[in-house]
Amino acid sequence: MIVMKSIRRCQHIITVFLSVFIIGTVILVLRINREAPFYMSHSENYELGMVYDRNGDVLFDGLGKGEYPDNHFIDVGNLIGDDKGQMENTLVAKNIDKLNNYSFSAGIVREGGKAAIYTTLDHSANRAVYNAYMGAKGCAVAYNYKTGEILVCTSLPNIDPTKGYGNIGNMESGTLISKAMYGTVPGSTQKVSTVISAMEIMGKEKLFSKKYSCQGFYINGTDGKIDCHNSYGHGEQNIQQAVENSCNPFFAQLVEDEDMSLEKIKDMYTKLGYAVSDGENDAEMKYIDINGIECERASTTLTDSADFSTQWGCIGQGETLASPVQLMMWQSAVANGTGKMTMPYLIERVTDVYGDETESSETNYSEQLFSSETAETVKQILLTNGENHYAYSIPGYNVAIKSGTAQVKDGAEENALLVGFVNDTANPIAFCVVLENKYSTPAVAENIVTTMLNNLCSN
Amino acid sequence: MDNSIVMIAIAVLDICALVLMITSCVERHSGRKRWSKMTSDMELAENDRIFPLECDEILIGRHASADIRIQDMSVSRYHAMLNVSGGKWSVTDLNSKSGIYVNGRKVQNIRLYEGDVIVLGTRRLVFRRKELQR
Amino acid sequence: MSNPVSYFFSCLFVLAAHGTMLFSVFSNGKYSSVNDVVILAAAVIGLDLLYFIVMPFFRQKTYAVDFMLVLILNMSIIFQSCFGGVKLDVKHFVTCITALASCRAGYILCCDHRWIESKKKFIWAGIGILMVIILLFTGSRSMWIDLGFMTIQPSEFIKPLLILACATSVSEQQNKHQIWKFNIVYDNLIIFGITAVVLLFQWWCRDLGSIPTFGAIYASGFILRICYPKAKYSKKTLIIAGICVAVLGIVAIIVAPPYVKERIFVNIWDDTSGTGYQQSKALIGIAEGGWFGKGAGNGMLHDVFASESDIVFATICEEWGLLFALMMILMLLIMTAMPLINPPRSYYHGNICAGVCAAFTVQMALNIFGSCNMIPFTGVTLPFISEGGSSMVTSGFMIGMIVASQSPEFNQAVRSTGTTRTMNRG
Repeated sequence: MIVMKSIRRCQHIITVFLSVFIIGTVILVLRINREAPFYMSHSENYELGMVYDRNGDVLFDGLGKGEYPDNHFIDVGNLIGDDKGQMENTLVAKNIDKLNNYSFSAGIVREGGKAAIYTTLDHSANRAVYNAYMGAKGCAVAYNYKTGEILVCTSLPNIDPTKGYGNIGNMESGTLISKAMYGTVPGSTQKVSTVISAMEIMGKEKLFSKKYSCQGFYINGTDGKIDCHNSYGHGEQNIQQAVENSCNPFFAQLVEDEDMSLEKIKDMYTKLGYAVSDGENDAEMKYIDINGIECERASTTLTDSADFSTQWGCIGQGETLASPVQLMMWQSAVANGTGKMTMPYLIERVTDVYGDETESSETNYSEQLFSSETAETVKQILLTNGENHYAYSIPGYNVAIKSGTAQVKDGAEENALLVGFVNDTANPIAFCVVLENKYSTPAVAENIVTTMLNNLCSN
Repeated sequence: MDNSIVMIAIAVLDICALVLMITSCVERHSGRKRWSKMTSDMELAENDRIFPLECDEILIGRHASADIRIQDMSVSRYHAMLNVSGGKWSVTDLNSKSGIYVNGRKVQNIRLYEGDVIVLGTRRLVFRRKELQR
Repeated sequence: MSNPVSYFFSCLFVLAAHGTMLFSVFSNGKYSSVNDVVILAAAVIGLDLLYFIVMPFFRQKTYAVDFMLVLILNMSIIFQSCFGGVKLDVKHFVTCITALASCRAGYILCCDHRWIESKKKFIWAGIGILMVIILLFTGSRSMWIDLGFMTIQPSEFIKPLLILACATSVSEQQNKHQIWKFNIVYDNLIIFGITAVVLLFQWWCRDLGSIPTFGAIYASGFILRICYPKAKYSKKTLIIAGICVAVLGIVAIIVAPPYVKERIFVNIWDDTSGTGYQQSKALIGIAEGGWFGKGAGNGMLHDVFASESDIVFATICEEWGLLFALMMILMLLIMTAMPLINPPRSYYHGNICAGVCAAFTVQMALNIFGSCNMIPFTGVTLPFISEGGSSMVTSGFMIGMIVASQSPEFNQAVRSTGTTRTMNRG
């Protein structure tokens, strides 16, 4: 059949329109096929699968058919969460589409769906750490700084989601959030950041040559009084001694030092991930994404080198806030010896409704925050601190550690913090432990760390 | 809920679409016959080359987009147009440089009859009935 | 009738297709009494049979497109009657019959292309009158005229008229005039002006969904006007120009100010109860339906606003399954692709077919891709499937124009003299 050229031209136009439309339709179908589980996560009809820990222990049962001991989920309840909508920043709430026992071809599978999230958590270790708090409040988080697997992330007070939210009105504040993801006053653990910054700004030689004296307090450039926890004073110290003594006047003088310009500190803090405000404008808060869970970074206010609150900010009080996860991640940058943080994750792998793996984890690193030389030096300072002061309280581990005491509620309560890592290639654990209101509880932060390491490390 | 009925419905719908497309093919065939009858079954021929006349306005010229393309510098890009109306063919000059000559007479617009010779520039086309060549 | 055998088989299979659909409604559907299904079946099969008996009296030469049309319209009646429970949708049934009548009108008007071409001044006048009506009655932010018992969307009626206005014959394009140094066909300028005014009117009415449709109609007409009979623009030039326009569009979207981007890329999942309500519901409906659907009447989307017009694709997906909905789309495509199988015999009819195809595919794309959140959601109707009288009548008319190109009339010898005179002038 012969078609004249003129008519064929009209047919070409028709063909073009039809082909564009058909291409669009094919894209649409592929897209629907791929994204349908996500659409279904917004539906009222769904059937969720399971969340497991690294040993196959159940952390969340979407099917609701299993029987579990009382308070079985209470150690990680507010981290894993559920689908009830009460807790939004949780693993299940943020990954509900991955947990959906649904595929476009199979529809909703009510029986025998294999959608599951296999997490990196160690349920028994979490449990042990939870018990070590002896009912006190706080949070503990630990991860493998080589791979990024979060092993322990517990927070107290906590909730067993299977018991429902009937008494939500009577819950203590902080029950429904995993505190490790939210900012807390870092106390002297902040000094690690300040040491890193000073090392980057001055270099090792110059920093170790700096010596300041402490008489139990220091009157700063604006006549503010920076108290030391040792009212008799530490005398003249270098950086190593100051870290071991956790001496506030030393760090106040370090911040005031003309070799440490505030601009450089600000730059360095920003690089470390702080939202640095200049006292007038609030800096934009950024989040660390841990499998969809939003984890706060750190924030502080720096106005002037000689300013009272700026100096306290660099010491770890005042307006400085950092999330325990962020404190732990900085430890990984030191522990790795590279100055790059290992990015933490919770999800080891995800399976779909048929049991096929759809997603698996991989180790990622941050950008270079500081030089590897700085990392090595800070590592040495912290290791020495661990050897000299924690050999008895945390026995059996070569730990690098920095303690902190954070005054909260206008000094009415003091929180104990311990950040550090195990310097052992077989057990590369970095951790951060927060024990709230430490004088009101028999629990001790060092014991919590010891319990955690005993459960995590294979000797 | 039984998927097989929906599948059967889809299959029948597909077959129906196929049948309708075949119907359309059959109609094309009969449409072509009707066209031949209506337009007296004519064609243009230049020696061995045969140009079918399958629509009602046919451009003749040197340009690539002309329905009947004659690659010769003596032919204008758009030289002439063949036109059928009411079963009668006619040819029209499109302001060409060399004009068109039908049976040796220069014309602007003229009705064509079987066996007419159309000269465009140096080229000579014969307007003839299809059966003649067979 | 020239092909009684194929006519018979076409009738048979159209009936079979509707029969299996109705059986599927009967076995999977949700209905309170079987009577509802029987009434629906009687209406659909009755309309089929009536059409098959009446059709031969029109003495057309081809029937394939007509069969396609009645197949789709009765499918549409079944779809619309089943949303949320089986019950014959009488209003939709009546509009479908109107669409069939409108298709006849389109055929009768367009079958002789020389006649309709000679009446182009009336077509321009028609567009003008419709725009005056829009100006006087709809107001600047609305596209509807409320007559009390029904609402009319006048801009719909401009679509077939614009297709007719944009269509051109070869002889018309040879009728050039010298303005300064350029050979210009006056009509091309007039059509450009008309389209520009129509588009401005649509912008003024905020009928944003119609703008791409009119744009596509004009684009197909424009290419066919400048590309073939003037030969000034080669294929290469056009392809390069097309790529340039596409790149410019993409760049414009990239550098657009944020508030424009927000309008274009709405994240529907952030606001599933507000702006993203319809689309998110539609996508959930499609996901719940899967490949084979929940069964007629078992969906939840019929409660959502505009479930039978703007997001009708999703509603059908939910109840009948994605596969069936795709088949329905395929039927619409085959109907507009009929000129590929049986080519028209004149350039004017070819232009009309291209224009109709442009209008149909763009409307379908806007409706389907829009409701599935691939492109901005504009609220355009899906031809023949969506409920709505104005859309149904114009779509029917446009299919009538395709029918005209399939069985054209060339025998009106009386009218041909006028054309010859025009030719002499050229």
